[in-house]
Amino acid sequence: MIPEIGHFSLLIAFVFSICLAIFPMIGAQKRIADLIALGKPLVHANFVLLSVSLFCLAWSFYHNDFSVYYVAMNSNSELPWYYRLSAVWGAHEGSLLLWVWILALWTSAVAIFSRTLDDDDVARVLAVMGFISIGFLAFVIFTSNPFERTFPNFPIDGRDLNPLLQDIGLIIHPPMLYMGYVGFSVAFAFAVAALISGKLDATWARWSRPWTLAAWIFLTAGITLGSWWAYYELGWGGWWFWDPVENASFMPWLAGTALIHSLAVTEKRGAFKSWTVLLAISAFSLSLLGTFLVRSGILVSVHAFASDPTRGLFILIYLLLVIGGALTLYAIRASNVVSTHRYKLFSREVFLFSNNILLVVALVVVLLGTLLPLVHKEIGLGSISIGAPFFDRIAALWYLPFCLLLGVAPFVRWKQDKLSRLTGKLVSGLVIALLTGLTFYLALEIDSVVTMTAVVLAGWVAGLTLLELVKNKQILKISLSHWGMIFGHLGFAALVLGIAVTQWGTVEQDVRMKVGEQVVLNDYTFKLEAVDFVKGPNYSAYHAKFDIAQGDKQFDLQAEKRYYNVQSNVMTEAGIDASLARDLYVALGEQLQDGAWAVRVYVKPFVRWIWLGGLLMSIGGLLCIADKRYRKILSAKALNKPVGSQDETQVKAAQEVQA
Amino acid sequence: MKSIRVIIPIVSFLAVSIFLYKGLFSDPTDIKNANVERQFPDFNLPDLMDENLFYQKDSVKGDYTLVNVWGTWCVTCRVELPYMTRLRQEGVRIVGVYYDNAADAAFGEVNVEQTRLEVKQMLAQLGNPFQFNIYDVKRDLSLDLGVTGAPESFLVNPEGVIIAHRRGAIDERVWQKEFQPLLNSYSNQAKSQSN
Repeated sequence: MIPEIGHFSLLIAFVFSICLAIFPMIGAQKRIADLIALGKPLVHANFVLLSVSLFCLAWSFYHNDFSVYYVAMNSNSELPWYYRLSAVWGAHEGSLLLWVWILALWTSAVAIFSRTLDDDDVARVLAVMGFISIGFLAFVIFTSNPFERTFPNFPIDGRDLNPLLQDIGLIIHPPMLYMGYVGFSVAFAFAVAALISGKLDATWARWSRPWTLAAWIFLTAGITLGSWWAYYELGWGGWWFWDPVENASFMPWLAGTALIHSLAVTEKRGAFKSWTVLLAISAFSLSLLGTFLVRSGILVSVHAFASDPTRGLFILIYLLLVIGGALTLYAIRASNVVSTHRYKLFSREVFLFSNNILLVVALVVVLLGTLLPLVHKEIGLGSISIGAPFFDRIAALWYLPFCLLLGVAPFVRWKQDKLSRLTGKLVSGLVIALLTGLTFYLALEIDSVVTMTAVVLAGWVAGLTLLELVKNKQILKISLSHWGMIFGHLGFAALVLGIAVTQWGTVEQDVRMKVGEQVVLNDYTFKLEAVDFVKGPNYSAYHAKFDIAQGDKQFDLQAEKRYYNVQSNVMTEAGIDASLARDLYVALGEQLQDGAWAVRVYVKPFVRWIWLGGLLMSIGGLLCIADKRYRKILSAKALNKPVGSQDETQVKAAQEVQA
Repeated sequence: MKSIRVIIPIVSFLAVSIFLYKGLFSDPTDIKNANVERQFPDFNLPDLMDENLFYQKDSVKGDYTLVNVWGTWCVTCRVELPYMTRLRQEGVRIVGVYYDNAADAAFGEVNVEQTRLEVKQMLAQLGNPFQFNIYDVKRDLSLDLGVTGAPESFLVNPEGVIIAHRRGAIDERVWQKEFQPLLNSYSNQAKSQSN
């Protein structure tokens, strides 16, 4: 009964979405107030219906209802309750349900927080989001129904959740990522609504900024979490693999990063209008493309998902409608956009735009690298694979100009600036950068030019960012969004430093060890102290205890090799000792003939800085979004006027009145 | 000039879509065909109950044989045993491949006597569908078969070719839908040949 309620809610939500896509849009175009007024109730009803649906699926999992096919395939009565709940998004059908639920959540949020926006503009935005949700609901209902039953002969027990997914990181990683992917639909909807209405001014940019930031925060956090999870759970000690599925999440991130910067320019200066619209369309389009790549299984990936050509075809048609439609609209409308804003070559606009271009270049490289194997095969040149070495090499060339510009941009004034004004700061920045380099050179004896360059550039970005803080006498008066920029850029510097030092300094050894034997790596002695057989709720495991010694410091590490009974999978739980300077990493492998164990040991310097960087960037985003001017936007209808460079004084006045 | 620039996005997107469309229909089918319609792998393994008795590929040839991968530790296997016992009574030849969790080298020595005792108890309690059980000591056969978990079943034709593969339990519905039609078409063929 419960699954049927969930299924029925889905069907009603589908019908409501169709209404949502049609009526408010007609209302907005023809100025019919009654139709416009339909939008918000439909949005909230949809959210409630999809919440019911999601709850019903969770309920079926919680109560081990194996008559539901999806539950039987992805759960087991021995699975702990929290994994039974996270198993809801453990496979294709459920994760799509989560996808549409999150879309409904964002749509509801837009409906609630846009009260001060003109009704017909909100109606257009909600209608576009309704259109997006039609496609995904149809996809869930017609090709991937999670509520399908196995009657009359249902299994007594389920096939269990993929052991890889039985982990705290995987409970939160997919929802975070989806919040990011789907969150870009808001910026997309604002952009498309602006294209439809023809009001391509700064208003839509101001309105979509907080939404884009929110989505970007989730995406950044989601990707960081995924990387951290892969590191400790997969047992290879890697943190990024340039796997197609990872690239699928990285591309929207690059577009989103470019977008949040370009939105700032459009909102504040009224420049780059059509470019910003294009980025807003791209960010969400790439999220959709990522979904397509992952769900259709056309690319070979370590993330084994369901591959099914009919499902793939469905998404492809949907992509053509949504992305193709938006880009066609763009082609029709964007040529009429004229930018009245003027700026000189040496200005913040140009710096921001250059970094935007670099981000888009990175995006195109990742896109080509991901799709090239497919294109190559289809034009009859045979199968090729493009892996990490290709991307690593490009990335090593890319970050150089990017970091150089990134360090300087925040100092440069809008419209026009003089290099002579900045000389002092640039010299200080250079000194800090070189000192950072020297410190690392002496401390770690880095012998690689590429690594040293990256360290110096990280120092350059961090130094210049911090310099701004130190020189600013009124530190308490710095706005939250400015703090956000500082955190974001420091995070990026930490990321670059972490990647460079880890790539250079990781030491790895595969050894065979008997209990009592030891191995020395850098200054660390790893001794295999004991291996015990232990039993978990749905697995049995060998549990290894390692004693680590460095000088007189001593501590221990625990690693496990788990055997999951139902899916007969073997999983590695690595033992990790973490600190900012280095990680020690031990993974237990197979037991060999003579009773010895295959053991993999790593020392990875500065690897934490990679996730620290991601964390700092997310915090930066949060600070920006907490800035008081967004709360002002929510309360001030007076601000709801097009803002170009001309009428800026007017807006300033309005802001002062508000304050 | 500007009007050309604004159509670049849509044009590139359409170009990419063509490849995405073509890509959809090339790969997955290859993988699917690789699983079914192939020769049963070669092996040389002992009987579960008698380590001096060995079976080879010939042991599953000659007649339509349902090869069932199972173990006493597997909950779903318990569920399918009664129905498969009925199939045996209806004349289907069923051979077990015993798949032992503990036979993984990483999990130390297996107590064979203990396993045999458990198997006897379980089959006495739920029914014994098997002509005999092949003991997949190091799970090599399961690996060659592409087994991902127990239970899994393979229908092997008299020439030793796998013609159907089922992951998960076999019940009446699965048998009628996926296996019986294959056997029927065989007996029809046999009839038409004898005519």
